[in-house]
Amino acid sequence: MNKLLKINYSLYIGIFCVSLLLFLCLFGPIMAPYSLTETLETQYTDGKIISPPMEPFESEDYPLGTDKWGYDLLSMILHGIRYTVVIALAITLIKMIVGTILGLYIGQWKRTPSWMIAFENAWSYVPLFLILYFFMMPINFNGQLETRTLLGYFIVIASIISIPSIVSSVRLKTAELNKSVYIEAAKALGASRNRLIWKHIFPQLKETILVMFILEIVYVITIMGQLALVNIFVGGTLMRFDPLIYISVTKELSGLVGQARLNIYGNTHILIVPLIVLLFTTISFSLLANGLKNRFQSNYARTPWIRIGQVPRMKPVRKQFGKQGKFWSLNGEKLAFLGLCLIFIGAGTYVYLTKDSDVGVKNFSKAAYDIKLEMDENGVFNIAATIQVKNKSDDAWKELVFYFIPNVFTEGHAFESVKGNAIVKVKEIEVNGKKADYSLEKDTLKITLPNNMKKQSKQTVKVEYEFTPPEQGVRFSKEKDNYYLAQWYPMLATYQNGKWNKEDYSDGVETYHVDFANYKVEYKLPEGYTFISSADRDPKPEVNKGTVKMKKVRDFFIAVTKDMDIHETTANDGVKIRLFTKSDHDKKIDDSLALAKGALSFFQEKIGAYPHKQLDIILDNGPFMEYPGAVTINPYIQDMNFYRTSIVHEIAHQYFYGVVANDQYNEGWVDEGITEFATSMYFYVAENQSEGQAFALPKHRMDMIKEAGLGRQYSNVPVHELKHTGYMYGQPAVELLKMMKAKYRLKGDNVKEVGMQFLSDYYHHFMYKEVNTEEFVRFTKDYFLVPSGYFNGWLNI
Amino acid sequence: MFRIIQQMIIIFLLILSLAALPMIIEVNSAESKLEWHFEKLPKVYGDFISEVSKGSLGTYRLGTQVRNIEQDIGDNFLTSLKVMLIGVNASIIISLLFGIFLSRFRLTKLFNYFINILAAIPDFIIIVMSMILAVKIYRWTGIRVISLRPDAGALNTWFPTVLVAIAPTLYLFKLISVKYFQTSSEDYIRTAVAKGMRLNYINFQHVYKNIEPFITAELVKVISLAIGNLFIIEYILNVSGITKFIFQSGEIQPIAIGLFAMLLISAIVYVSVRLVFYLFKRGFIYE
Repeated sequence: MNKLLKINYSLYIGIFCVSLLLFLCLFGPIMAPYSLTETLETQYTDGKIISPPMEPFESEDYPLGTDKWGYDLLSMILHGIRYTVVIALAITLIKMIVGTILGLYIGQWKRTPSWMIAFENAWSYVPLFLILYFFMMPINFNGQLETRTLLGYFIVIASIISIPSIVSSVRLKTAELNKSVYIEAAKALGASRNRLIWKHIFPQLKETILVMFILEIVYVITIMGQLALVNIFVGGTLMRFDPLIYISVTKELSGLVGQARLNIYGNTHILIVPLIVLLFTTISFSLLANGLKNRFQSNYARTPWIRIGQVPRMKPVRKQFGKQGKFWSLNGEKLAFLGLCLIFIGAGTYVYLTKDSDVGVKNFSKAAYDIKLEMDENGVFNIAATIQVKNKSDDAWKELVFYFIPNVFTEGHAFESVKGNAIVKVKEIEVNGKKADYSLEKDTLKITLPNNMKKQSKQTVKVEYEFTPPEQGVRFSKEKDNYYLAQWYPMLATYQNGKWNKEDYSDGVETYHVDFANYKVEYKLPEGYTFISSADRDPKPEVNKGTVKMKKVRDFFIAVTKDMDIHETTANDGVKIRLFTKSDHDKKIDDSLALAKGALSFFQEKIGAYPHKQLDIILDNGPFMEYPGAVTINPYIQDMNFYRTSIVHEIAHQYFYGVVANDQYNEGWVDEGITEFATSMYFYVAENQSEGQAFALPKHRMDMIKEAGLGRQYSNVPVHELKHTGYMYGQPAVELLKMMKAKYRLKGDNVKEVGMQFLSDYYHHFMYKEVNTEEFVRFTKDYFLVPSGYFNGWLNI
Repeated sequence: MFRIIQQMIIIFLLILSLAALPMIIEVNSAESKLEWHFEKLPKVYGDFISEVSKGSLGTYRLGTQVRNIEQDIGDNFLTSLKVMLIGVNASIIISLLFGIFLSRFRLTKLFNYFINILAAIPDFIIIVMSMILAVKIYRWTGIRVISLRPDAGALNTWFPTVLVAIAPTLYLFKLISVKYFQTSSEDYIRTAVAKGMRLNYINFQHVYKNIEPFITAELVKVISLAIGNLFIIEYILNVSGITKFIFQSGEIQPIAIGLFAMLLISAIVYVSVRLVFYLFKRGFIYE
């Protein structure tokens, strides 16, 4: 029992809490669930009205509740805490260093000038926060100065005005020590003044100064809190009239307390939550200081002669002389400290690595494809696909669902755009080396699993089949001697919201939705064919055997061609553009290549790095279509404008399809609409066309809808409800442009600059994530500070 | 004596420059830069001095009204003085009692824990928390503990007085405890114990006498702590004290007058504490 009482709890708890604070300072904003501008909007869910202010612990989404306007308190605290701690540390550091040095030297003087003492006394009389108040009052309100400037002024002024008190206490202690016998002795031995200070006096004061340092941190936070109560928030105060409210710019903790001051009468949690965090902050430092003081005191304390109330009962931790040889000796304290460091680093790494995990829509089925493809002289493809499937959901799976699109083109299909028929023969399907039952209906391949697939487990599916693509098909097609294979393998469907998300194939826009996956494709072709694919390292023309690999792509496209010309050029960052064409059309190859290069370079510069090393452009009869690292363009159409627009459009898809994913069936507008906007922006910005010219295509689509008298429809409807592709392509582009024109002033000087910046930020935010309408609205709402209702005209939220 | 005059002059100058700060700092919004207008200083001070030399304290703005300071300052001054006098004296007596004379009793230990916990909490948090508590108490029991109406008399001022007393008590109690601990291991205490003197006797005659100088030395600091909190407390609790002049405008007249009034209050409180000490020594300790 006695031993337990002697443990220096405040030191250990203090160290732990301070590390926690430092951790929050470093990683707080990353951990914050919401941004500072996102608000909880009043909503009606499950028969309950949810509206701000939310109480703490009432909703899982807002663990600490929200304030009156719906801002998440936890996020504000996580963003603000670093200001509080860092500012306090900065001020303390400056004043302690300057104050200690001055104090040490002045304390050495034979006599301290009386004006100095008088000044110190006078200075200690004036409350410091009052000086800061009078200084900050004329400059702190309504963003007259930038936050950074304000913080700079605050730190400098607060440091300067508190230096005298530090000087005074260090000076007194130095003067005290200066009278000691050992200083006398050192002087007699000829020690210089610097030596006396740094070798004899400072080591004696080291511990006191450390304790003082930590206490001063608390003191600085106190001053910040006092200022906040009179509406001076560190980093700036926003003042709004009617009703008069004050808002902290930085969301620094004491500012949060200050801005919620009037909540003592109601909704007290808005005030209490930041107050408790602030209290935790100060108590952590106080505990640390107290713990250190206990330790140092117990080392030097003498036992009192009479009975008094408080006797520190800590066990002294003294230096053991003679044991200095050991560099590292293991004991509980050091071990615990090491553990704390490891936890700190580990948790930090974890937080950093998972910082984007809450962005985008989740999919719980992952696949890795290893496919062997063999083509014979008759154009029959023999495939052995080994697919490693991972169940990342919490459910146990009974079956696996794949898209098997070649199967919809077999004899008797009803697609007018597909001339011929495909022949598809599934030979065998194995799961983990054992034959498995399956059903194949239209393009849905369901494989019954012999054993339930537990959560987080992996299974290997092997599908052996052969196919012949249809003559003049769509995407999956044979054009004379050329074969175009898109979605030619069983593609694992997404598993979202507890079920397989698989919709039927339909003609026209894309209907399949798969996640990013890694691919390895081994191919063998007859002599004379060229293998072109999504992969970065395609073989040289007419090499008919080999393996290609590709990581993190949405699907894997293959073209097997014969006798096509190759033209090459290089865009930014050494990305190779290859253009494959025949010479029987009227489009100029050089112009097309230049346009492709211009568009890709423009997007590389304005939006972000191109995700692959190579872009293949194949000009042949068929649809205009994008695949990762490859696009197909039809050069036989007459409309030159549409031809040019399409090249740019498909290249833009490399970003907004290839990297930013979406559910093409239910949320097709997300890639098509934004790609259309990006395409128009290319003509608007890079080619400097007028707005009417650049946005001619989307506007034309909307005009067609008007002519057809289709009325209004949301853009985010599933494919089978879509009345006109214009809602999916044109409407988002037109609406986005409208928004940019209305809101660009928030972010920059003109529509062009802000539009491209928006695309770039959107792209970087959602790289390799899936976006749906909700995610898009959440991002855009926050970006342009608009409410959800802003999108009501064209999105169903 | 020379030093006291020196100090007075420095404090005087300090207050004047502090009061002029809001007038000379300005933000140039075109360039968003901070600008110091030192050239305004002569006029600012000139106006102030000419006003004072006329025998008037000048005017201040209350909303759209312009009022004379000397008309209003009397009541406000007395309110603040009362709060400060009671607060600081009480805090000194309490910390002396518990720090030295009652230090050895078990009950004091409890008090000590309580104080230690409070000491870890910054003053402004205590102030805000206690206000929340007061509102809650009213909600639960219907008993009005405090009133924020300036004309509510004692209901308006007792709570500020307690809050003003908290910070100095915490500070002094800690200081006295540490000093008591240090003093009690001195040799003269051993001698006294060896002579068979009673504990109370030692506390009065040996310990107190040796601790008192430290308290006197820290007295300015203690009063300044109380003053610092007084600003916050009067502002938040809507006590119409002297700080009303200081926070309500950016003009030099009310700020300077307010600060000088504060100085006067501090001086009175300082004298009163010294008087208490003097009486205590005359009453209990043989010189």
